[in-house]
Amino acid sequence: MHTDGDTESIPSIADLSFLQLSDSFFPTGLYTTSNGLELLFYDKNRKLTYGEISDFIKAYLVQQIGPTDCCVVGNVYNCIQKKDFMSLLELDNTYYFMRLIDETRSASTRSGIQFLRCVSAFIHNDEYLDFFSKNIKSGHARGVYPLSYALGCNSMKITKERCGLMLLYGFVVSVIGAALRLGILQHIEGQKLIDEMKPVILSTVKKNINRPLDSMWQFVPQLDIIQMHHEQMDSKMFIT
Amino acid sequence: MNRWIQKCLLLDFFLYFFVALSRIPRIGIGGPVGSGKTMLIEQLVPILKKDGYNVGIISNDVVSREDADRMRKNLATERGLMPEDLVIGIATGGCPHTAVREDPSINISVVEEMESKHPNLDLIIIESGGDNITTTFSPALADYFIYIIDVSGGDKYPRKRGLGIETSDLLVINKIDIASFIGADLSIMERDAKIVRNDKPYVFVNSKTGQGVKTVAEQIVKDVLFDAPPKSVAIN
Repeated sequence: MHTDGDTESIPSIADLSFLQLSDSFFPTGLYTTSNGLELLFYDKNRKLTYGEISDFIKAYLVQQIGPTDCCVVGNVYNCIQKKDFMSLLELDNTYYFMRLIDETRSASTRSGIQFLRCVSAFIHNDEYLDFFSKNIKSGHARGVYPLSYALGCNSMKITKERCGLMLLYGFVVSVIGAALRLGILQHIEGQKLIDEMKPVILSTVKKNINRPLDSMWQFVPQLDIIQMHHEQMDSKMFIT
Repeated sequence: MNRWIQKCLLLDFFLYFFVALSRIPRIGIGGPVGSGKTMLIEQLVPILKKDGYNVGIISNDVVSREDADRMRKNLATERGLMPEDLVIGIATGGCPHTAVREDPSINISVVEEMESKHPNLDLIIIESGGDNITTTFSPALADYFIYIIDVSGGDKYPRKRGLGIETSDLLVINKIDIASFIGADLSIMERDAKIVRNDKPYVFVNSKTGQGVKTVAEQIVKDVLFDAPPKSVAIN
């Protein structure tokens, strides 16, 4: 029988919330993005290999999603611990301006706002969710996705580390989903790749979840340029 | 002042605030690829505009921005019926039905941005990407759902059912001009549409010439706008 290490705990509501928020069925609109994979696919004459997609995802995780998105998640939980409401707004703004691609910026805020709205439909009286939602409405916050996601996870008693895992896992699934729809991967290959990404997700979260805000960074210039070109494509299936 | 007139003025006052503050009505238009969704919108907007209604358009597209670009050029740039920023194209990640039904988050977000930038709009039309006969719109996204098919698929189309054909608020059957060329019997389509839709409305149109589109516009004004005057008129 498989158990969760030596400590077999009794499942809780938070465990189910963990499943609910990390399910691609949760409505955030992320399926509309390929993070530039679509352009790469056409640039490579529709001949992207399994290995290239694996490298593509790893580069994003290690060089961008880890040191920015995951860092935001960790800092949100720290703000909550310190009851530091105003730093949430600073985080939101800093992340927003670190997104270099216009479409990515707007996709992040759109998904973030809709995520918050959905969670707020069944989580009531969470002071951080309420604070952030009010500030979005009044125009003082933008509602970027990783921040909204962390607030939602916190409101559902999901730990910081698990939230980081869920965010990165969700990213991996959305890119692999795009690869499936583009016909680059087949369904079993997709699951195999998800499995291969597990250690990368784990190490990226460990490395970045406690990263201070002033150490937040990203460096994927080639992928940024790909996304900028993708934005300009006349015919495309995905937002970016 | 006569008490009756006072009551009327009060009613007008409340009507104005109701119209000004309520959310902008949204119509979803879905249908298979090539059924004429974009062409229908291009014919509808001038009719509604002529009656003073201001319309915004969100066009979901599976693989291109062609439909949105065409409508922007045709309705905004060339004919000046709306500002160019009132035609917005959305890429749907290859899932047209998901974007309007299972997870309409991105569409709702864009609708809300349009509402906040243009609160005086009378109507927002959301065009789905071309899809199959199971398309429906989430009520969270659209208040009224028009499903459009065309006769080129044969006169069997309505009786094949599907959620779009059965449950839409209005079924539009397009390209009636080519029925005779492909051996489609419109009377069969009409008979089956009545049965399948339990007498919910349907309209035969030719979106290329505009035939029948006025009836669609009238249906929208009656069922979606409840015969309310355009906001610009109500405010004045």
